[in-house]
Amino acid sequence: MIYMSSLLKDLRYILLLVQWDLTKIVRRVIFVAMRSTWFVIQVVFFGPVIAQMVNARGIGLDVSSYYNFYLLGIYTSILFTITASRAYDIAEEFEEGIIEYQLSLPMNRKILALGRAIGSGIASTLFTLPMFLTVIILTREFDLLAIAISIVSALIFSIAISGFVLTTTLSIKSSDATDIIMGVLDAILVRLSTIFYPAVILKNIAPYYYAAIINPLSHLADLLRIFYSFEEFKEIVVINPEAMASYILGLFIGFTVLAMYVIEKKIEGGGWR
Amino acid sequence: MSEKVIEIINLVKKFGNFVAVDNISLTIYSGEIFGLLGPNGSGKTTTLLTIATVYKPTSGDVRVYGYSVVSDGDKVRKIVGIAFQEPKALGIDKPYDLLLWHAKVVGYSGDEARKVVKDVMEDLGLWEHRNKYFYQLSGGTRKKVEIAKVLIQKPKVAIFDEPTAQVDVVSKHYLWDKIKELKEEGSTIIIATNDMFEAERMCERIAIVYKGKVKAIGTIKELKDFVPLGDTIELELASYADQHVLDILSRFGKVQGLGNKVLIYVNRGEEVAIDIIDTLRRSGVKIVRIMVKEPSLDDVFFYITGAKLKEEIS
Repeated sequence: MIYMSSLLKDLRYILLLVQWDLTKIVRRVIFVAMRSTWFVIQVVFFGPVIAQMVNARGIGLDVSSYYNFYLLGIYTSILFTITASRAYDIAEEFEEGIIEYQLSLPMNRKILALGRAIGSGIASTLFTLPMFLTVIILTREFDLLAIAISIVSALIFSIAISGFVLTTTLSIKSSDATDIIMGVLDAILVRLSTIFYPAVILKNIAPYYYAAIINPLSHLADLLRIFYSFEEFKEIVVINPEAMASYILGLFIGFTVLAMYVIEKKIEGGGWR
Repeated sequence: MSEKVIEIINLVKKFGNFVAVDNISLTIYSGEIFGLLGPNGSGKTTTLLTIATVYKPTSGDVRVYGYSVVSDGDKVRKIVGIAFQEPKALGIDKPYDLLLWHAKVVGYSGDEARKVVKDVMEDLGLWEHRNKYFYQLSGGTRKKVEIAKVLIQKPKVAIFDEPTAQVDVVSKHYLWDKIKELKEEGSTIIIATNDMFEAERMCERIAIVYKGKVKAIGTIKELKDFVPLGDTIELELASYADQHVLDILSRFGKVQGLGNKVLIYVNRGEEVAIDIIDTLRRSGVKIVRIMVKEPSLDDVFFYITGAKLKEEIS
């Protein structure tokens, strides 16, 4: 047996929980393959066509700039979808009794929640890494610092969404309700955001615009756009870069703390419907 | 008296309107093998999962070495290890990877974990299955993997929920020996079972649980003594047991004559048998053979719970 300080022990638990999620990646291969196919179709066929159709010059962009805008939107969308799909894995784990097993393990429940959120976030980010590299190649932007910051931003965003998914799925304890909530959220959040349409256009439709402003997908998509083409996109993003970065960070802190609180105080085994 | 390890205090657990555990109180002492005996749905598993902090009590509390499952869950989890009734793994898990991960979580370093996992898997005959997917394993093998988790962990309080369900007879006896070894190494053991033979074979004290309530607690002998006239003394006499002999014996209990055999239904059979031998000798009745039969644990269970077989099936 190894003896270490409480902090080191907690860190070790987090690493083991991350390992848990990473070693379970194999069960999602078919789902990710399907989403990857969807991604390829979007960036190879629809992206160029839409870039031709959109009057990009009306908002100060040229056609190739809009294509880059679209690529980073599509990447954000798929990162969100794959992270949100963790709800199905958690549902399966509940049905198979894994959650009860993990609740019995000799670790603090907050650490359990944090470890699972981080593990889930890393797994989802890893899944989308090939797509992110495709985006880099297609945009021909090879700034290493921008790439590194983008991946870290994507990871923080993904951990935040994982925290939310963990909290929601374990709280509602229903496969059907999980399906409905995640499906509706995916549909609404992707559409009511700046994934496909710049904020400057959305301003013409007030409810749509305000929804996009508070939508986390808008903030990540526009933050990534800023990292790659600051000058080009700075006038059309939803808010200034510092505020977007703060928003993503706030989301990360808020949802992970929520998951830690809910799992420690509220969650128990049984009752899955 | 040994140290109190677990104190269940007025424990109530409800799921919606359904009362799974209804105001249970009991104490389990250091180093004993304690059994929760009851039919399916009696509240055994719910009680165990509450001790393991997987369920939260609706009211009441459980204290493990003085730590409350309500307010000191982290401390309780460091003391308790549980082998669940249904093995907990995903179909894509492989036993070795699963147990190695478990070993690391319960505190072994990498090398130690690999060694202890190999040792326990070899001991339980799991080594040849180490790289199979969980969905490829038989029910008994899955159960052994679940039990292996606790044998690796060696917790101060080891909980086994129906440890030998689905396990073949040879493995069943081997697992019982392993659980007893764990006790010899210092663990306090709690076993939930609906197998009377397992309870009688393994447990030093038993709580009979029925419909969420504890109906009786005691050693096997104490529980058997609960059954009025539960012991049967079977006498074989050298001659026909006439009415005079039956009258003599009737003061010890209910008597049934069958030719030169007599059945006497009594309490505390071993003690009464001595008095009977003495009385018959003084009366000049020659005894060929005398045998004392205790009630089975089934008899005890049915007597204590008042359950009817029909009711159980429905």
